[in-house]
Amino acid sequence: MLSISGLSKCYKDKHALENVSFDLDRGEIVALLGANGSGKTTTVQSICKLIEYDEGTITLDGEPTHSSNAYLQKVGAVLGGSRNINWRLTAKQNADYFARLRGFSGTKIHQNINELHSALGLDEHSKKEVMKLSTGNKQKAALLCALSYTPDFVLLDEPTLGLDFQTVDDLQTIIKQCANKQNQGLLITSHDLAFIENICSRVIVLHQGKLLFKGDVSALKSKMYKYRLSLQLNDRQQFPLASMQSLWDGRFAITENPETQIVDVHFETSEQSLKFIHHIHEQKISIAELKIAPLSVDEAYQALVKSEKQ
Amino acid sequence: MHLHLLFNELKLQYYEMRQYWFETVSGLILILLMFVGLFYGIKGFVVEQGDNQSLDGLVFGFIMWSFASAAYGSVTKTLIEDNQKGYLEQLFLCPQGFVSLVLHRSLADNLTSVFMVTIIAYIAMAATNNWLDINFPIMYGILLLAAPSLVGFGLIMCGLALVFKRVETIGAFLTLGLMGLVALDGLPFNLFSLLPFVPGVSLAREVVLEQSPFIWSHLVIVLANSAIYLGLGIVTFTFFERKAKKLNLIGQY
Ligand SMILES: Nc1ncnc2c1ncn2[C@@H]1O[C@H](COP(=O)(O)OP(=O)(O)OP(=O)(O)O)[C@@H](O)[C@H]1O
Ligand SMILES: [Mg+2]
Repeated sequence: MLSISGLSKCYKDKHALENVSFDLDRGEIVALLGANGSGKTTTVQSICKLIEYDEGTITLDGEPTHSSNAYLQKVGAVLGGSRNINWRLTAKQNADYFARLRGFSGTKIHQNINELHSALGLDEHSKKEVMKLSTGNKQKAALLCALSYTPDFVLLDEPTLGLDFQTVDDLQTIIKQCANKQNQGLLITSHDLAFIENICSRVIVLHQGKLLFKGDVSALKSKMYKYRLSLQLNDRQQFPLASMQSLWDGRFAITENPETQIVDVHFETSEQSLKFIHHIHEQKISIAELKIAPLSVDEAYQALVKSEKQ
Repeated sequence: MHLHLLFNELKLQYYEMRQYWFETVSGLILILLMFVGLFYGIKGFVVEQGDNQSLDGLVFGFIMWSFASAAYGSVTKTLIEDNQKGYLEQLFLCPQGFVSLVLHRSLADNLTSVFMVTIIAYIAMAATNNWLDINFPIMYGILLLAAPSLVGFGLIMCGLALVFKRVETIGAFLTLGLMGLVALDGLPFNLFSLLPFVPGVSLAREVVLEQSPFIWSHLVIVLANSAIYLGLGIVTFTFFERKAKKLNLIGQY
């Protein structure tokens, strides 16, 4: 088991991570979510010892990782999008190199590399060096390297960046196999909630370096708002905010910006908005603009943060 | 010493040479032409003077300089010249540590360059029927003992590059600096002996070129020079590596 406890990292006086703790078991797929700058990459870098963290301990199977680098034999990582392998070699040559760098070689490794190479759809590009691959295929080549020696723990920082739908699908299958067949534990950062939802058993949400939520996907989803209604009235005077509040069934959150005269309502089910719009129509309230849109994952975090604070 | 790392680096070299066979072949041909040019160009000049020694000396100087550049470059190319974004991060994930990886890479590079230059030198000698009085195995033996000083020096530069970036400009300047190092005489012990690699070249010059008797204390100076610079390089690099990890600079390449 990979255990992170009390992890903190400061830049100057700003916390990139503050007292973050979680575990990752073999055979488990865990998502690390959060808006830009929330500390996901910092967490992954800390586990790989690419940065020196200020406080906290990271242990692998009970052994602290601080004193020796030997634990890296059991860790594979795709860091910072694509491109993090040797551009002058082909994907397979890279995989061979990085496997041996970790101390793994032989026919079993080669067989594994060949299988993954096909599964990732890289076979038709087998002659090209990584430099000549497209962004998505570079990303796949980096994945091939990280998985080549079947490390016990795999860290993927935004693995879906630049991948098309079909490839994301294939990637899901491969990741599930890693967990189910090879009993590998995977930590995946992503902004793609649909992707995460399909494969992850648990999620961890970071917000401004702090752990905001830890639990399974459905628990997170039940906490997050799904839609936002944005309303701009023509006349500040007729803003009947108090009476409008009563029109929202169930869970919702209203925020008002006095400067722009925009009222934002976050809510959960689309029907919730019908009564509200009906009311506006009945009262002949003149509106400049009205928008209803599903929240992006990042916006949903923000709403979640606000509701956590209350 | 981790044999799997050494083998991995040799294999990497082979892959890269094969992938970029044109650069590899043209590079080798260039060195071959330089040798042949040295032989023919100087020969006429030398024979006039009836002094075969200076041809040996010139070829010797050329080999020293190319070896010194290769030894220094074997370390710096990974960090300073070859800064593909993110590749470096993956190399830092070596279970034996990044420094160990760089040292193995450098050893692999040096072995290959010794091998190549020797073969080319012999081809050039055969082609021009001009047999130099240089004992290659002994010369390279001495050079390999002296190389760690330049590797250590390279590590110091890499450490600086890791934190301060933009050290490439020093590289061009260093090529000239290396020519200077190769020309100095650091034996018996004097102030020049404190510079990296100088005692090594001097010992090789004494033993291989001038064929003077071998002096043990000189070898000790060479070994001490190597050990001190390599140690200094590892300590300095490790210091800057920590600093870079504190400031999160490794991924920022
Ligand atoms: N070298 C650095 N110096 C100062 N601050 C840094 C440095 N590197 C990262 N940070 C800060 O640390 C915080 C966390 O960054 P991190 O890269 O972990 O975010 P992230 O969750 O991965 O974001 P994204 O979704 O954009 O990838 C950010 O506020 C960032 O500005
Ligand atoms: Mg990130």
